[in-house]
Parts: sequence; structure tokens; C-alpha cells
Amino acid sequence: MKKIILIALLIGITSSCEDFEGWNVDDKNPSAVPASYLITNAQKDLFTRMTSTSVNYNIFKLFSQNWTETQYTDEANYDIRGRDIGGGFFTFFYRDILNDLNEAKRIINEDAFIDATTKSNQLGVIELLSVYCWHVLVDTYGNIPYTQALQGVDNLLPVYDDDAEIYADLFARVDAALSQLNGGGSSFDAADLIYNGSTSKWSKFGNSLKLKMAVRTADFDADRSTTAAAEAVSAGVFESKSDNAAFPFEVTPPNTNPIWVSLVQSGRNDFVLANTFVDLIVPLNDPRSSVYMADNKDSYIGAPYGQGSSYTDYTHIGELWHTENLEGLIMSYSEVQFLLAEATERGLISGEDAEMYYNEAVSASIMYWGGSQGDANTYLAQASVAYATAGGTWQEVIGNQKYISLYGRGFESWSTWRLLDFPNTMSRPEISGEAVPRRYLYGNDDAGINGDNYDAASAAMGGDLKSSRVFWDINGQGN
Amino acid sequence: MKTKLSGIMTLFLAFVVQFTFAQERTITGTVSDESGPLPGVSVLIEGTTTGTETDFDGNYAINANNGDNIRFSFVGMSTVSRTVGDNNVINITMVSEENTLDEVVVTALGIKREKKSLGYSTQEVKGDAVNTVKDPNFVNSLSGKIAGIDVKSSGTMGGSTNVIIRGYSSLYNSNQALFVVDGVPISNLNSNDANQTNGIDGYDYGNAAQDINPDDIASINVLKGGAATALYGSRAANGVVVITTKKGVDRSNRGIGITINSSVTFNKYNKETFAEFQKEYGAGYYDGFHPGGFYFEDQNGDGTDERYVLSDWDGSFGTVPFDENLLVHQWDSFYPELPETFGKATPWVAGKNDPSSVFETGVTMFNSVALDGGNEKGAFRLGYTNLNQKGIMPNSEIIRDNVDFSATYKLTDKLTAAASATYVKTKGKGRFGTGYDSQNFMQTSKQWWQTNVDVKQQKDAYFATRDNITWNTSYINHDLHAIYHDNVYFMRYENFETDLRNRVFGNVSLNYDINDWLSVYGRVTLDTYSGNQEERINNNSTAVSQYSIANESFTENNYDLMLNFNKDLTENLNLTAVLGTNIMRQRYSRMRSSTNGGINVDGLWSLSNSKNPILAPTQREYLMGVDGYYANVSLGFANMLFLEGSWRTDIASTLPTDDNKYNYYGVSGSFLFSELIDSNWLSLGKLRVGYAKTGNAARPLTLYNTYDLNTPIGGQATGSLPNTNNNSALTNEESNETEIGLEMSMFKNRLGFDVSLYDKSSTDLLTPVTVTPAIGYGAQWLNAGEIQNKGIEVALYGSPIRTENFEWKVTVNWSKNESEVISLANGLDNLQLGSFQGGVSVNATVGEPYGMIRGTNYVYHDNGQKIIKDNGAYQVTTSHDENLGTFQADWKGGLNNSFRYKNLSFSFLIDMQKGGKVFSLDTWYGMGTGLYKETAGLNELGNPKRNSIADGGGILLDGVDVNGNPNTTRARMDYYANALGWTKAANSQHIYDAGYIKLREVALAYTLPQHLFANNFIQELTFSLIGRNVWIIDKSIPYSDPEAGLSSGNIQGYQSGAYPTTKDYGFSVKLQF
Repeated sequence: MKKIILIALLIGITSSCEDFEGWNVDDKNPSAVPASYLITNAQKDLFTRMTSTSVNYNIFKLFSQNWTETQYTDEANYDIRGRDIGGGFFTFFYRDILNDLNEAKRIINEDAFIDATTKSNQLGVIELLSVYCWHVLVDTYGNIPYTQALQGVDNLLPVYDDDAEIYADLFARVDAALSQLNGGGSSFDAADLIYNGSTSKWSKFGNSLKLKMAVRTADFDADRSTTAAAEAVSAGVFESKSDNAAFPFEVTPPNTNPIWVSLVQSGRNDFVLANTFVDLIVPLNDPRSSVYMADNKDSYIGAPYGQGSSYTDYTHIGELWHTENLEGLIMSYSEVQFLLAEATERGLISGEDAEMYYNEAVSASIMYWGGSQGDANTYLAQASVAYATAGGTWQEVIGNQKYISLYGRGFESWSTWRLLDFPNTMSRPEISGEAVPRRYLYGNDDAGINGDNYDAASAAMGGDLKSSRVFWDINGQGN
Repeated sequence: MKTKLSGIMTLFLAFVVQFTFAQERTITGTVSDESGPLPGVSVLIEGTTTGTETDFDGNYAINANNGDNIRFSFVGMSTVSRTVGDNNVINITMVSEENTLDEVVVTALGIKREKKSLGYSTQEVKGDAVNTVKDPNFVNSLSGKIAGIDVKSSGTMGGSTNVIIRGYSSLYNSNQALFVVDGVPISNLNSNDANQTNGIDGYDYGNAAQDINPDDIASINVLKGGAATALYGSRAANGVVVITTKKGVDRSNRGIGITINSSVTFNKYNKETFAEFQKEYGAGYYDGFHPGGFYFEDQNGDGTDERYVLSDWDGSFGTVPFDENLLVHQWDSFYPELPETFGKATPWVAGKNDPSSVFETGVTMFNSVALDGGNEKGAFRLGYTNLNQKGIMPNSEIIRDNVDFSATYKLTDKLTAAASATYVKTKGKGRFGTGYDSQNFMQTSKQWWQTNVDVKQQKDAYFATRDNITWNTSYINHDLHAIYHDNVYFMRYENFETDLRNRVFGNVSLNYDINDWLSVYGRVTLDTYSGNQEERINNNSTAVSQYSIANESFTENNYDLMLNFNKDLTENLNLTAVLGTNIMRQRYSRMRSSTNGGINVDGLWSLSNSKNPILAPTQREYLMGVDGYYANVSLGFANMLFLEGSWRTDIASTLPTDDNKYNYYGVSGSFLFSELIDSNWLSLGKLRVGYAKTGNAARPLTLYNTYDLNTPIGGQATGSLPNTNNNSALTNEESNETEIGLEMSMFKNRLGFDVSLYDKSSTDLLTPVTVTPAIGYGAQWLNAGEIQNKGIEVALYGSPIRTENFEWKVTVNWSKNESEVISLANGLDNLQLGSFQGGVSVNATVGEPYGMIRGTNYVYHDNGQKIIKDNGAYQVTTSHDENLGTFQADWKGGLNNSFRYKNLSFSFLIDMQKGGKVFSLDTWYGMGTGLYKETAGLNELGNPKRNSIADGGGILLDGVDVNGNPNTTRARMDYYANALGWTKAANSQHIYDAGYIKLREVALAYTLPQHLFANNFIQELTFSLIGRNVWIIDKSIPYSDPEAGLSSGNIQGYQSGAYPTTKDYGFSVKLQF
């Protein structure tokens, strides 16, 4: 008996020596995916984040005072801390978009079986998407982690780089990416939901982005902007709305336009038109009014910006914004025409009248929202809209019309306002009395999780304040 | 007096006994204790009324038959039974009940040890501590009864309970104690997701240890320190609650024992833990938003505008005071479905029934029956218990059935087989929604309520229409869909959850005695459950309609093999040793599916009713295992000096395969100095010291990244890197703990205490560190940081009065734990454990206690006073990272008193906590929305606070201006952006002290005298009146129970829509045949 027991004991001990190899790999999720999965995902995330009006995603449509909040007015009063608006946007770009773009780049670089042309095109597309994201981050925060970012466990405390220096690198990266696009061959094909893999469209996107960066930084470095704008225009920017960087949201959740989620699916009535926007557009007899705004009131009436307002008392957001599959937009033909007008006025490019670009920009916007060239012509014929008579300076004329054309695109609208300081009718919300912020605050947690670098970046920005300015935001007094 | 009385009793009883049963054989003997003969000991033939008492010299004589069991009992002493055999003389030595020298306790791995030999702290309570005044979750009953265990119930029906022993020693891994039932480690997982634990939404489905039936528990022994738990391996790093269930006993000649236990308690919500509403103003926020305080519209076409309540706003900062002469069209006038009130204006007054009228009287019923029997070969017990619980929220219930079976049998003289199995079926319905969510009526009522609403009318409206007739319509009477808040009855009856869990746990074992000093023991254990959770939101709710179902299953097996030695090497030297192996395997899987973007048919709860094609279910699955080898050696010298050492190696599947093995060990010793002191007053004196190093492995699936696959779009597959970066270089956590203790028992155990001091340092803590997302991930798994816990535990007991008929016993438990986060990885000085709505977070901050709540604070003047701004509100720090205090208590204590007079007993437990902080999102918002009492009424000038400052309104806060002069600036109280609510207040204004003193339990029991049951059929019949949580004697958080929280786990100190606690009163009957 003793022997049996001892043997049993031995068997027990030896049989337990199981090899645990493989137990730690989650076999319900893939350990490898094609790069295209990450690209499609990043595109959707980027457009969702830029399009959304949920205060948990971004509050740019409040910064631009297109809309205002009805009952819960914290964000309309520029309370960025309460919901950690700065931290949420920051996290989303680094963690959910840029990290996946980087990973896609790694996968493609390590793939020995893709032909060289396709590989080059794919890397070019990834690079242009990445540059777009970086420019959004810089424009939003100023200094941000860049050179030491996205290194995972290898660098948990990345430094924040100077915003102007990051832009300098972004110009170089756009050029490099443009040279990687071969004009032909395939890239991501159908997985690219923006341009269906068309490298020529991506080239136009790259050049349009370069033009935008040139215009935006012209007050900071006019020489570089002149060179870059000229290069971009000669290489070819958007030529029609078919070049738009647009994203096809779908009719079924979770792939719908996120504005539909906030306005319809939520069942809430959080937003109405702000008086800043309504008071600007109503005197102009704008053909886009009936698209931008609902006719729930006898006449369009915007709620006093930032003040709590009853949903029932003010003009609602247009019906089109209540459709599931309204396309998302991050750059448009109309916008590029405005940029060309601005570049002309700034002397970055020459050859055409700024007025011609302006007229084309306004027309393109009206037609994008369903109007006709005739509607546009009538509109432009008004003294209050016509280039020569609509305002005292080109900044005012372009600023007001570009603001109207960028309705619903909070980030671009707010950024353009920071650059041109028009329209000059932005109000201060009653509760907080604060001016329109010039930047987002860094995330609520940043001081705790990357303290020394955060402190250095804050100091360099003149404080982690809403009034601190991004390097290109040089002129203008704000509101 | 005592002797005299007992002498008379003896004579009397002897007379009766002699008279009644004259024929049997006479058994005689002497009963003594360590100090000599014991007079007045009750001597009774079990199952009969035949009895006597010992005389002045401890002698007795009783007539008995062969095979009868004679029971000897004496107050303060352990009861002894002897079976009558051939011998006519039975001498007995009795030992005292508490801390008896020979008391045997169950330690790690089910090893039974004499308590005196242990070099570490354990504390035992008997089953009656959890089954006299029963809580459906027996874990809650431990609060205040054991020194050093921190028990906190999150406060919803069937919700989870947090159990922490000796502080939080891991940053992120579970700090929950391990539960072991009869040697079977029992899963205590809670399946609450991160949204639930962070106060966003969801239901608290409770922790799995609550499946253990309180009626089946014979004793609970808590092993607190590493030296006690090292043998259990990794999982016992946070202490172990060892539960021994009731077993059958040898009942030769007495047939089957039957015990029936029934109890019912009524649960009434405690008013002090719910909001008190102001009754002066109704709906609105601010006159600037709606001049005149109402909507004015001419709907009936009479040419004048009618007044309409601001139904699309919540909040109670209306500007027009209640006035019964003012007629207003309120929500009940909007609905044609309510013909009696449709189109009619009603007086503008406070709702007659405020939200507290939603609470119903909860009822908790336990009914159990147990059979047991046995003979010299073996014994069994079979128990069945039904728990039927109805919660205080409408449409809520939990029904639980437990079947418990255990048996042992001596197959041969040397071979014993044992088995036990427990089956538990739990069915829940209408658990309470938690967090900042529309399924939580506490969010509605404690944060955003309109005081003009009468809840009873809402109830009638729902039952009349079965529709979401809400007070909070989207656009007064033009668009009647609920905008932010549903009708609570619609929500409770249409949007209810249901859940079901089937569970089996148990073990089979064989023990073979090779000889009288060596045995081998083998055991296989199983704990497995599976269940589902179905959640529903019907059409017409504020939230998107949805049906979801989650299926979860868990299985754990343990295979144990042990060699046990127990030999007296010399007359004075005893050796006990264990050599063994433990193989543990766990498998977990969970799958959740839900409808997409709404449901089609109202109230049809199936996935096929999805409005859009359903998305892929989420799936999580893992397998984990630990192979452990261990040895334990204990040497005892002359029953006075004991030395013990244990060692264990674990190989954990969750660590990198090339580095997954780690060792730990413990040494401890005890010295019974009372053996050297010959004194009458000292029964036990023991000094003990222990040291242990223990380890803890990683969580499953934290080494290697996989991609998340997301919903395809445009026909294209999508994927992304995970939010948390795994790390293939993780190693095990390690704890080093030293403890010393002193146990003394005096005056025949009339007074005793047990004091422990410990110092525990835990390093390499496995943590998904919140890092800057600039690294590409939101969190990074690291071996990050070190925590130190130091503390003291005191258990004190005494019997101030002890006579034959009357006894008063007191026990005191007190413990204090101090924790400090010593360091974190990579130069980080803070680790966020959770961040919450309202801008507060719970953190591990270097140099501070674990569980630091951070947020905005007051700004203090150099003179120590709070600075007040020129708007009369407190100045608030711009930083959100101010330390506002830890959620951990300064100390915890329990005071239990029990009295017995003859067959009547009475006991009560006072449970208390000093310190600890909690943030209330309820007052954070509720003070801003003006629903609480404080936001209305008169100020110190005697004027209505809600008057304008010019009219003498407003409030004067306590503080100073920037120059340090006392504040004279009044703050506006006429709108939501006041100085008390979320727009202007510092987070610290809504941080409260979580301390409390509670009358936790009260029990009055009467056991019918046995002589009433002449036929001996009934052996015991006890009636009890019981109460639980009957009185919160003191607390400082208003409108809430300081213990209320979200879930068990490491995130504590935050209340969001906290439910009131209940006062429970009831009675129970115990009948034993």
C-alpha cells in the first residue's frame, strides 16, 4: 500500500508539469491582421472624431459658435476640465488613430511580398493621413509629444516638442509622402474608404493639405509658406467636389454619422443654432439657410450663445444633419478655393484674382449643399456678399463667408477664425464670460502621468491655458 | 450564591430524575477543569429530558442505557459528549469555550491545527455569527465581527461586497480575500464591467461568494497574514476566509436529525440615507433662461397665454415659489391618455409624494431544512435552503435555492472517503441600475429631480397606460417623448434585467492512514458556474431601446495530494509536517450579444428583434493554471514552544513561460509562556512571531497583444491595436510580511485578548499603468510600484457576569491599517485607479495612502481659512490633482454584547468606522439643481435664500477674503450656478467623511425549555426577533449611507446615484428534531 501511494504521489507531481506555452495568447482575437484593417479603422475613427458633436468627442462646434447647448451649458461656457475634453481628444488621436497608422506602416514595411510600387503608395497614403492628424493635434494644443511619441513601453515619458518645429517636419513629411505616391498602381483599393485607393486623389489631398498648412503658417514664416503654396498649386490641388476628402457613413449603427447619434438616436435635444451664426447668415438671404437650419420657428432665431436655452424656443439644426449616412468631410474643394483666395491675398501665390477664387469657393459650397450656380450667382451679387463690398478687409470678407461655408465643421471653422479673426461677432457666454479659447487644455491627467514634460510644455506655451496660443496664431485680439 | 443555587438545583433535578427513571444502570464520575472539580455542570442524556448536575465536588450520577450519549455542559466551557459503553465511570475534563488550549482550527489547505501552536493570527467565528441574523450575502455579516477585515456592501439588492484583509496591498490586481469552503477555493469574481465599477451605468451583479448559504456554515476562520496563507499560493496573498460547513454527526441510536429554520425580515429604506427635498420651488434653472419661470403659450385659443411647466428641464431652481392659487399646466395635462387631467391646469405646489414613495417594503425570507445522521462508520448532512428576496425598488426580486450535501465514510479502519457538493441556483430580476444612467432612479431623484412632481401620480399614469408617461417631456405638450428621465415605474417594469446562475461546487477526497503517524490525502475539487444576464430597454425610453444577453461560465478544478506526518519524536518533541502538490486549472468564458440601434416590436426580448443587423458578440475566454508544490514542517516542544516553516513553489501559466516559476516561504513560532507561570489567573499566554514572503501571478492574457476586430464598414474589415499595451516581461508580485502577536486568556477565560501587529510590503505590483496616451496606448502593463501596509488588530473578549442563569459576554474587535504607496514605475508619482464624472479620480499616489481621492480643492489663506471670491463662492484650485483624502478608514471596530438569562438571550452588535472619504456626485449635482433642503428656506438674515442678493437673499459662506478678513460677501442662491453646486463648488465641498457608528445587529432569542417536549421528538425550538442595520447612530455624509458604493473592487470612495440602505426587522424560528 505504501508503495502504491508513493507511486501515486510521484505520478501526481510529474503529471502536473504541463507546458503552459500558448496559454497567454488570446485566441479569440487575431495576433496578426493585414495593414488595410488598420487603415480602414483609422479612417473611420478620424472622421468620426472630427465630425461628431458629442461633448465627449469634441466641442469645436461650440468654439465656432455654430451651435449652442440648451440645458447643460458647461461646454458652451468653455469648461474643458469637467469632461476632460482635452484629454479625450488627445487620447483618441494618439491611441486610436496614430498608433494604428504607425502599426500599419510597420506591417507594410515588414511585408516582403508586396510589390515595390504598391508598398510605396501605401506608405505615402499612411503618411498623408498621419500628417493630417499631427496638424490637427498641433493646431489644437500647440506643443505636443511628437519625436518621442508612439514608442509604447520603450518611452513612457515622451517630451513635448515645439509646435513650430513639428510643423517644419510635417512640411517635409508631406513632400516625402507626395514623392512616394507614384501616380499609378494600387494602394489600399477598396479598404480606402476616402479615395478608393486612388493615388492621384491622394496627391491632390496632399497638395491641398500643404496649401492649407502654408496659409495657416504664413504669419509665422512667409518665405516657407510662399514656396510651399506655389509647389502645392503647381502640383495640383482639389479641382472639384469629387476630390473632397469625404467619408461614407452608413445607415446602420455603429457606422452612422456621429451627429445623427447625438441628435436623433440619443433622443436628447442638446443643441440649437447659436445666435452668433444665425445673426450672421440671416441678413444675407443665404440659399444654404434651409439646409443648415430647420424651420421650426416662424423665423430663424438663434439662442444666445452659451446661455441655457429652451430647445423649443430656438431654431433647430437642419434636417440633413438628422440623417444617418450624411457624409463626413475633413477637406473640401470649396475650402481649398478659399485657401487659394487667402494665399493670393497674402501674396503667397499670384496669377489669379482672389475674387475669382472667392466666388468659386462660395459657389462650390452652395452647390455642395444642394444649391445651383444660379443661386450662387444671385447670392454673390448682393453687396453684402460680393467680394468688393462685403467687408472692410479681405480677412473680413473671406472670414465671414468661409465661416458660413464651414458650418458644422467645427475644427476648421474655429481654426480659420483664430487665423483671420473673423467673423468678429463671436460672443462671450454669459455664465463664464470667457473668450473663445485659442487652444484646448492638455488632458486632466497629463500633469500627473507625464509631469516634468508637461510642466516644460506648459511653460513653453506660456501656461497650459485656454488663452495660450499656437505658434501660427499670431495676429488678432480674439473676441 | 452560585454554588448554593446550583446545589439546590442539583438536589431538585436529582430528585426528579431519580423519581422518573429508576430502572437504568447508574453512571457516575467527576467533572473538573484545569483548576479542579467543577460544580453545577449540567449532565443530560441527549435526546431525552433525563439530566442532573454535578455536586459541590464535581461528582454526578445519572441513569443511562448503553449507547446513550451523555452531554456535559457548563457555561463558558466547551460542551462534551460521551457515549455510554461498558464502563460505569465517566470522568470528564472540561476546557473553556474561547481560546481553549486545545482548540482546533482549520488552517490553510484545510489542515487542522491546534490554535495554540500557530505562530500567526487567525480569528474564528462560529456559524451563528452569520446565520442568526442572516444577510442574503453572508459576507456582510462579518463586518465588525473579526478584527482586521474590512467588509463593505455596495448597497443594492444582491449587490457585491468588498472584503479587504489588512489593507490594499496590490495596486490593480484583486485585493479581495480568497474564500475557501471545506478546502474548495470558491470563485468570488464579480462580472461587473468597467462602466459599472466607474459609475457610468450597468447593474451590480454581486460577487460570487454570496452563493454560500449562511445556514450551511458551521464556522468561519479568517487567516490574515502571509505566514498563515503561504501554503495556498498566489491567490491567498490577500488573506483567506476559511469556511467549514455543517456536517453530520454520529447519531447512533437516535435516527436522523432534522433542523428546520425559517426567517423573514422586512426591509424598510432608511430615511437618513435618502434625499430630503425642499418644498418651496419647482422646475427650472434660472430666470435668465426662462423669464417668468414658465412657458407661456395660448393653446386653448382663448387669447391669453397659459402657464406651462418647464417640463423639458429637470432641476428645481424655478423662480416662482409654490403657490396653490397659481394654476399651471403640468405634465399630467399633456397626455390625452389621462382624460381626467388632460388640458387642465393644477395648483403650483410641491409634489405630494416625493421620490421616497417609490421605495417599497422589501421582504427577505429564508426557509431551510437539513437532515443529518451518522454512526461510527460515517455521517452525512443534506440541507436545502430557499431564499426569496424582494427589494425596495418596484419589480425586483432574487430567488436562490441551495442544496448542500456532505458525507464521510470509513471504508476501512485506515481509509476514509469524504465528499461534498453544493448546488446553487440564483435567479435575479430587476436588480437596481447603478451609476450615472437613466436606469438608476437615484440619479434622477437625488441629482435632477423636479420637486413639483408627485411620484404617486406618475405611478398611476404608468399603470393606467403602461406607457412612458414622464414628467420630463421633450417639448412641453408638443413632443411627449421622455428627454432625460423616464417615468420611474415605466423604467422599473419595462426596462428590467433578469439573470440566472447555476453553480456547483464540492470535492471528493480519500484519506489513508499508513500508520499512526503518517497519512496520505488526495482531493479533487470543482467549482463551476454558468449563467446569463439579460438587460432590456423598451421602446419610448430615454435610452436607445436594447436587448442584450451575456453568457458567462467559469470552472475551476484543484487536484491536491498531501502526505501528512504527525509524530512525537520524543516525549516532549512533536513533529507535524505536510508535503504536497496542488494543481489548479481555471477556465472562463463570457459572450455578450445585443440588438443594434434599437428594437422593433415593443417588449419582445430577443436578438432577432434588432432594428438593425446585430453586431458580432463580444467574446472573452481564458485558461489559466498554477502548479504548486509545498512543504510545511511544524515542531512542538513540550506543548510550549512551536516552530513552523512552510515553503511553496508556483509555476503560473500567466507569466512568461521562460520565467514563470517563483518560490515563497513563511516561518513562524509561538511560545506559550503561560506554561512556565504557575498561576491561577492565567489560563493562556502566548507570544507569536511570523514572517512570510508570498507572491502573486499576473492576470490572464496580459503578456501579448492581439488586435481588436471592430465592426466592418463599407464591406471592409477593421482592426486596431488594443487600448492597453500588454507586456511579455512581467514577473510575479511579491509581498514580505512580518507579524507579531500576543494572546492571553485570564480568570478562567473570563477575560482574554489577542493583539497582532503586522508590517507588509508589496513590490513589483502588476499594474496596467495609466500612461500618457502619447505612447500610443492608454495603459501599459508593468511591474510597477510598492505599497506598504502596517497595522494593528485587537480582539478582546470578556464575561463581566457569568452565573448559572445569567451571562453577559462582550467582544471587541478593533483594527487600524495604515497604507502608503512607496513608489510607482518609471518615475510616475501617481497612478489613476479610476476617474469619474464630476472631475474626481481615485488614485495610488506616491507618499500617500492607497485610494487617494483627487480633484479640485478649496484655496486656503495663510491663516488657514478658506478663501472666498468676490462672488461669495469659494475659490477653487485650478488643479484637478489636489489630494482630498483616501477612501480607506482610519480604523474599524465592532462591539458585540450578548446576554443570556436562562433560555432567553439578547445580543447586539455596534459596528463602526472612523474616517475614510467619499465623494458624492449626488450632492455635487443636487445642490446645483436645487432639490435639496439646503438650497431653499431662510438664510441667517431671516430672508429666503433664493431672493436676490439685493433683496437680502443668498448665503454667507464661512471663510475669508483674499486679504484674510472674514467673509462678508453673500453668494447668490437664486440659480443653478450657485456656490454649492457643480458649477462653482470645489470637489472637496462634496467630499464627506465616511465614518459611521451603526447598530448593525440585534437579536432576541428564546429557546423553549426542553421539558415542554415530553416525547423527546422535538429537541430544540427557538424563536428569535432579529434586526439588521436598524440604526445609524452617527455619520456625516448627508442623504446617503457612507458605506454605499458602486461595486466590490479597488475603486471605492465614490457615490453616484447611491441607493438608500434598509433597516431590516424580522423573526426566525429554528426547530430541531
